[in-house]
Amino acid sequence: MSETAGAPRLAFRLRRDGLFPRILVAIGLSMLCAAVLVALAGHNPLTAFRAMLAGALGSPYQIGTVLNRTCPYLLAGAGLALCFRAGVINMGSDGQIAMGGIGTAATVLAWPGPPTVITAIAALIAAILCGGLWAAVATAIHLGRRVHEVLVTLLLNFVALLFVQLVLSGPLGQPGAGFLQSPAMPRAVWLWRVPHFYFHIGILIGVFASLALSFLLWKTPWGFAIRVTGRSRAAAAYAGFSTAAVTWGVMLTAGGLAGLGGGVEILGLHHRLIEGFSTGFGFKAVTVALLGALEPAAVIPAALFVGLLETGALAMQRQIGVPSALVVVIEGITMLFILTATVRRA
Amino acid sequence: MAALLEMRGIVRCYGKLRANDGIDLDVHAGEIVGLLGENGSGKSTLMKVLFGMVPPDGGGIVFRGKELAGHRPGDAMAAGIAMIHQHFMLVEAMTVVENVMLGWKESGWWLGRHAMAARIRETSERFGLALDPFARVADLPLGRRQRIEILKAVLREAELLILDEPTSNLAPSEVTELLAILRRLRQDGKGIVFITHKLPEVMAVCDTVTVLRAGKVSGRAPVAGASRAGLAGMMVGRDVTAPQILGEIAPGPIRLDIQGLSGPGLGPIDLTLRGGEILGIAGVDGNGQLELAETLAGLRRATAGRISLDGQEITRATVNARMQAGLAYMPADRSSTALVRSMTIADNLMLRDSRRAPYRRHGLLAGRAGLTKAKALMQRFDIRAPSPATPASRLSGGNQQKIVIARELDRNPAVLIAHQPTWGLDPGATHFVLERMIALRDAGACVIYISSELEEVLSISDRVAVIAGGTIAGIMARAAIDMPQLGLWMSGRAA
Repeated sequence: MSETAGAPRLAFRLRRDGLFPRILVAIGLSMLCAAVLVALAGHNPLTAFRAMLAGALGSPYQIGTVLNRTCPYLLAGAGLALCFRAGVINMGSDGQIAMGGIGTAATVLAWPGPPTVITAIAALIAAILCGGLWAAVATAIHLGRRVHEVLVTLLLNFVALLFVQLVLSGPLGQPGAGFLQSPAMPRAVWLWRVPHFYFHIGILIGVFASLALSFLLWKTPWGFAIRVTGRSRAAAAYAGFSTAAVTWGVMLTAGGLAGLGGGVEILGLHHRLIEGFSTGFGFKAVTVALLGALEPAAVIPAALFVGLLETGALAMQRQIGVPSALVVVIEGITMLFILTATVRRA
Repeated sequence: MAALLEMRGIVRCYGKLRANDGIDLDVHAGEIVGLLGENGSGKSTLMKVLFGMVPPDGGGIVFRGKELAGHRPGDAMAAGIAMIHQHFMLVEAMTVVENVMLGWKESGWWLGRHAMAARIRETSERFGLALDPFARVADLPLGRRQRIEILKAVLREAELLILDEPTSNLAPSEVTELLAILRRLRQDGKGIVFITHKLPEVMAVCDTVTVLRAGKVSGRAPVAGASRAGLAGMMVGRDVTAPQILGEIAPGPIRLDIQGLSGPGLGPIDLTLRGGEILGIAGVDGNGQLELAETLAGLRRATAGRISLDGQEITRATVNARMQAGLAYMPADRSSTALVRSMTIADNLMLRDSRRAPYRRHGLLAGRAGLTKAKALMQRFDIRAPSPATPASRLSGGNQQKIVIARELDRNPAVLIAHQPTWGLDPGATHFVLERMIALRDAGACVIYISSELEEVLSISDRVAVIAGGTIAGIMARAAIDMPQLGLWMSGRAA
C-alpha cells in the first residue's frame, strides 16, 4: 500500500484525526444512556443488551438481516460523503432512493417478454438513471436559479414520495390490494441471495461502490478538485476547478447511488414497489456519511453499525417488550454522541 | 514617576516553544513604546499575557500600582487596558454610536443614543478623530473604523492602549493621521504600546522601542538617537540590507499586452510589459487592485478590452488555459485563496497543477512522484516544515507564502502577478520574496507587483504605476520618481 501526497493511508488518516478513541468513548457513553433509559422503562439493561446482540448477530439469518438493512444506507451514504466533501449539502437521498425504486419497478413491470437476469440489470440501471435524474433536477435549480441546495433537495423529497403514491395509484399499482403497492415481481428478477444467510448481493455492490468512491476521492485529480472545492471555493476557482462541474459530478454520483440503493431494496428485499419503502432512509444516509467522517470507505463500518443497531433494537423490542419509542430514542442518542465525537473542528 | 505598566520576567511556553522567555516591559504614562519584532518573536504572546487571554507560566505584571494576576480580558479592560486588534471588532451594520454602546454598562438599560452621541462628538474633537456618531460602520473607510476602536478605549477611560499592527490596513495618508492621534493621546497622558514591524513608523512616533527576538528582549533603546539599521539588526539578528538595488537589464520583447481592459470596478486599463521588467502598481487598497489581479488571472470576467500574453490572446481563456500560457498568480488572500490551510504542504504545492505531470499519471494522482516533487520544492524554496504531509496551517506566514511562490515559479511563468506578496511577512521572509521576484525578472519574465506599501514598490520596480479608482492614474520610470506626483495620483486628484 503506497502512501501518496494527497492520500496517506486511510487508517493513518483516521488515527491522525484521533477518531477511533473518540468513537469508542461515544459508543460507550451512548450505551450507558441507553442502559439508564431501559432501566427506567422497567427492564434489566443487561437482558436488553443481550437481546439486542442476539437479535443482530445471533444467527446467520440475523446477520443477513443486518446486511440487508445496511445496504441502502451504505449506497446513499457513500454518495453523500462525496457531496459533503465538496461542500454540497445534499439532503435529497430520500427522494433519490424513491425515484430509483420507481425506475426499477417500472422497468420490470413494463419489460417486454419473459423476465431474465438482463431485466434485473436493466432495472438497476434504470434505478441509477432515475436517482441521477432526480439529483439533476435539484442541481439544475440550485445552480441555475441559485436556490440553496439544502432547500431544493429537501423539498424534492416530498415531491418524489408523492410521485411514488401517484404511480402506485395509477400505472404501477396493484388494483384491489388494499395498500398502495405494485404487483409482485417475478422471481427471475430477484437479486441473488447468499444461501443460509439470506442477504442479497446489494451489500456487495455497496461495499464496492464505497471503495471505488474512496479511490476516486483520494487518487484522482477529480477527487482532489472535490476536496479543494469543499475546503475553499475561492481556492478551487484559483486552482482552475469549476465549482459547477464539481457540483454536477458529486450530485449525479450521489443521486445515481441513492437510486441504486432504492432499486436494490426493491429487487432484493420487497420484490415490489411499496409506498413509503424509502421513508427515512435519506436521513439515515446523512447520519451514516457523517459517522463515517465523510470518508466513503469509512461509511462501510458506519452503515453496518447503524444497521446493527436498528436490527438489534427491533429484536430487543420484540423479545423483552421495550417500547418501540425507546428504540428510536436510543438510536438518536447514539447518533448524537457519535456525531459530537466526530464533528470536525474548523 | 512610577511606571504605568511594569511587566517583569514574563515566561510563556507553548509545548517546547518558549514564546516569551523572561521579558521585561515598562510603559509610562504619556509614553509611546514601540514593540518591534519579526513574526513569531513573541509580541502577540506578550500582549495576550498582558490582556489576560493566556496565563503566563512565570513573571508578574503591575499595572497602576496594582498587581495583575490570573486576570481575564474583562478584568484587564476594567483595570484600564484597551486592546485594538488588527481586525476590528465592530458590527458593520450598526452606527458608530451603537458600536460604542455595545457591551458597555454605561450605555444603560435604555439606550440614550443622543446623550452618547454628544460624548462621542466631544471626545472625537479632543483627539482629532473626526467621527460622525451616526455614520454606519460599513460606510466608513478602514482608518475611521480603527478610530472607533480608539474612541471606545478612550471613552471607557483606558489608561493603556495596545495597538496591534495598527497601520497594516491603512492608506499612507491615514497612517499620518493615526500617528497624529497617537501623539494627542500621549499628550493626554495615556500610555501606548505600538506593535509593528515597520521601522519608519516607530521612528516617527515612539519614545522608546523594545525589540523582541525569539521570545527574548534583544534590544531596548530610546528612539531619539537610534538608527533604522541598528533596530533592524536587533530584530533579525543578522544584517538585512535594504532590498536589492536592481541591476539594469535590457528590456526584452513584449510579453503582456493589456488594452482597454474593463470590468465592474475596473478600467479601462492599458498596460504593456516587456520581459525582464517589474511593474509596480501602487495605490491605496480598494482602488481596483483585486479586480485587476483577478481579471488578469481569469477569476473575473472582463467586460471589454483584450489581454495577450506572448502574442496569444487570453482575454476569455479559462484559469487553466492562462496557466498553461505562462501566467502565474499570487493572490493577496493567502488564507483561503492561495492556499487551502487545512490541506498538506504537498497538496498545496499541487493545488493548481494536479492535472499535469508529475502530479498526474495515467489519469490518476501520482502519489509518490508528487511527494518527491514536493520534497524537492521544499528544499529549493527553503520551506521549513517537518514533512510534506504537514498541514499548511501549521506554518508561519513566511513559509506559507513560500509554498505559493514555489508552486507559481516552478511553472517557469512568462508573467507573474503578485498581489501584496509580502503582506504580514517579517523582514527576512519579505527579503526572500523580493529576491525571488527579481530573479524571475532577471530570467526574462515580467512581474506585475501590486502592493499598497509604497516604499516596497519603489524599491523593487523598474516602472511604477499608480492605480486609483480602477484605472491607471499614471506610470513613471524608476529613474524619474517624483514623489509629490505619485502622492497626487494615489489620492485620485491627478490632472
